[in-house]
Amino acid sequence: MSRRRVVALFRRVVSEIRRDRPSLALLFIAPIVITGLVTFILRESQAPQVTAVVVNLAGTRGQLVGSALGAALREGGATVSDVADEAAARAAIGDKAASVGVVIGTDAATGSSLTITAITNGLDPSGEASQVSAVLRSVVAAASGASGTAVPVVRHTTVYGTPTDDPITTFAPAIVGFFAYFFVYILTGVSFLRERTGGTLERLLATPVTRGEVVAGYTLGFGLFATIQVAVLMLWALGSLHVPALGPLPPFSIGLGVAVNGSPLLAFLVVVLLAVGAVSLGIFLSTFARTELQIIQFIPIVLAPQFLLSGVLFPVSSLPSILQPVVAIMPLNYAVDGLRQVFIRGADLGVPALQLDLAVLAIVAAFFATIAALTIRRDVV
Amino acid sequence: MALQAEPQVESAGSPPAIRALGLVKSFGALRAVDDITFDLAPGRIYGLLGPNGSGKTTLIRLLAGLTPPTAGWAEVLGTRMPSRPNLSRIGYMTQADGVYSALTVAENARFFGAMYGVVGDQPAADALDLVDLADRRASIVGTLSGGQRRRLSLACALIHRPPVLFLDEPTVGVDPLLRVQFWSHFRALADAGTTIVVSSHVMDEADRCDELLFVRSGKIIARGTGREIRAQAGTADLEQAFLHLGGDVEVAR
Ligand SMILES: Nc1ncnc2c1ncn2[C@@H]1O[C@H](COP(=O)(O)OP(=O)(O)OP(=O)(O)O)[C@@H](O)[C@H]1O
Ligand SMILES: [Mg+2]
Repeated sequence: MSRRRVVALFRRVVSEIRRDRPSLALLFIAPIVITGLVTFILRESQAPQVTAVVVNLAGTRGQLVGSALGAALREGGATVSDVADEAAARAAIGDKAASVGVVIGTDAATGSSLTITAITNGLDPSGEASQVSAVLRSVVAAASGASGTAVPVVRHTTVYGTPTDDPITTFAPAIVGFFAYFFVYILTGVSFLRERTGGTLERLLATPVTRGEVVAGYTLGFGLFATIQVAVLMLWALGSLHVPALGPLPPFSIGLGVAVNGSPLLAFLVVVLLAVGAVSLGIFLSTFARTELQIIQFIPIVLAPQFLLSGVLFPVSSLPSILQPVVAIMPLNYAVDGLRQVFIRGADLGVPALQLDLAVLAIVAAFFATIAALTIRRDVV
Repeated sequence: MALQAEPQVESAGSPPAIRALGLVKSFGALRAVDDITFDLAPGRIYGLLGPNGSGKTTLIRLLAGLTPPTAGWAEVLGTRMPSRPNLSRIGYMTQADGVYSALTVAENARFFGAMYGVVGDQPAADALDLVDLADRRASIVGTLSGGQRRRLSLACALIHRPPVLFLDEPTVGVDPLLRVQFWSHFRALADAGTTIVVSSHVMDEADRCDELLFVRSGKIIARGTGREIRAQAGTADLEQAFLHLGGDVEVAR
């Protein structure tokens, strides 16, 4: 492997991207805008507004529970009104005049115990779940208030971090890993495809350059941009620079202010290994593409499953068991886990879980680099 | 320079610069190159003439070792192709420009120089001088005209001063004045010992070659100097000779 040729390839890739403004925007601006938006949504989501209609079908006993329940709901910020029967409650919810209905009745079987039925609209299951849990909380509060017996309190603690942690803390590592993977893949894939279709690869392979040198030069070039991207994203995620009020501008802060427990350098190592794999994946897949559109068409096939199965959105442990073997071979999964180990657990190199993540990422990177080199044939037209 | 300008004498003993021995390249049922055998002597300009799709580019790619032959083999300077180390002794100007449009003219030249293992920036600068692009060094290639890109493409094939040069339709899109300059460069290079294989459709360029090879459906159907070919076909100009030898038309004698 000739160092001069690798350096020349590296410099060429860097100058090409440096002059390509849309690619730079894709690398640096897009992830900041998207993570900023996601953080804003997750942190500032409004507590659901509860507008309850209460129907009492259980006489005076129900009356008592109904008013205790209503008081508890009002305490939680809800608007509560009584209606005569279930039909009226259903109509109000159907018209969206109310968000949840509470029907207090007697159990048909025993005839003595009370039942409480929550009615929701049915159009927005996840939003309605929070309505129902607001009712549940109020039922517990009402029950302990009315009966005078204290209901046991359930507490929740975690091994790493705290249960009340900012939701961004688990989300940020995943998204840093995903962006590095996604953008490096797209840029390399498109850039190598241009090399294939633009006749420069034919020209390049008419020189004594080796396939390994080409892969190495590309990896260094795109690896550099991936590294800068990760550095920028980490500064953005971990930083919190408060800007005081200035004239008519309200005070605001720059950066997401995610707390990190481990060494940012280790997080870096994880992402760089992931990015090296992404460069080779881009080169490899460009073999099967004829146009730049086809590089984009590989995204639903190659990247979307990784996004869904690597714990970025859904926790890996909650995925159906039939998918677990697939999860085990997703490179992004190991990067997301590695980053969480570093960010949340504060893992160092001595932690076996992190060692496994790094080892898998290194093997995947080496594997894809090898097949990428093999697909650069001298026999391409 | 004056000494090198002495034309190379072709003696029976001097080994050929380029050899093809029963070269065949098939794409499925199509034989793009169909059993071609020849020896090309060093320091001469060979013209590869043939219609579209006759196999000129495929033949050049086989000789340059860019694709493995289906049968037979090619040798360049005594080394059997494909051979990676041998590529530093070969210059190849592709039919498509094959230059990086996001880079400047000088960056392209230096990049290909580095790929060929050339040390320093001087060879790249010299090659750009040769094609009259020195004043466009800092221009981004995407902003050049088609003919200027063609010139850059030629420069990129010359940086490492290869003793064997394959030029696939080098003068397409190049203006008449520069075309004359190109050919005088080719002649100077050949006089200095470079073996040049040029493909072309342009018959008036054919007379500038030392020898012509007529390619038809992957076969060499005729070989010789312009005069020999005209005599063989019994026609007054090469265009007529070409059509006649290809069996397309019965040419009036
Ligand atoms: N990679 C390939 N796969 C399939 N067929 C090919 C391939 N490369 C060339 N061919 C076919 O081989 C034949 C010769 O092509 P080639 O490019 O060598 O022609 P050419 O003489 O250079 O033509 P032109 O003057 O148009 O450049 C054509 O019929 C072409 O379609
Ligand atoms: Mg051709």
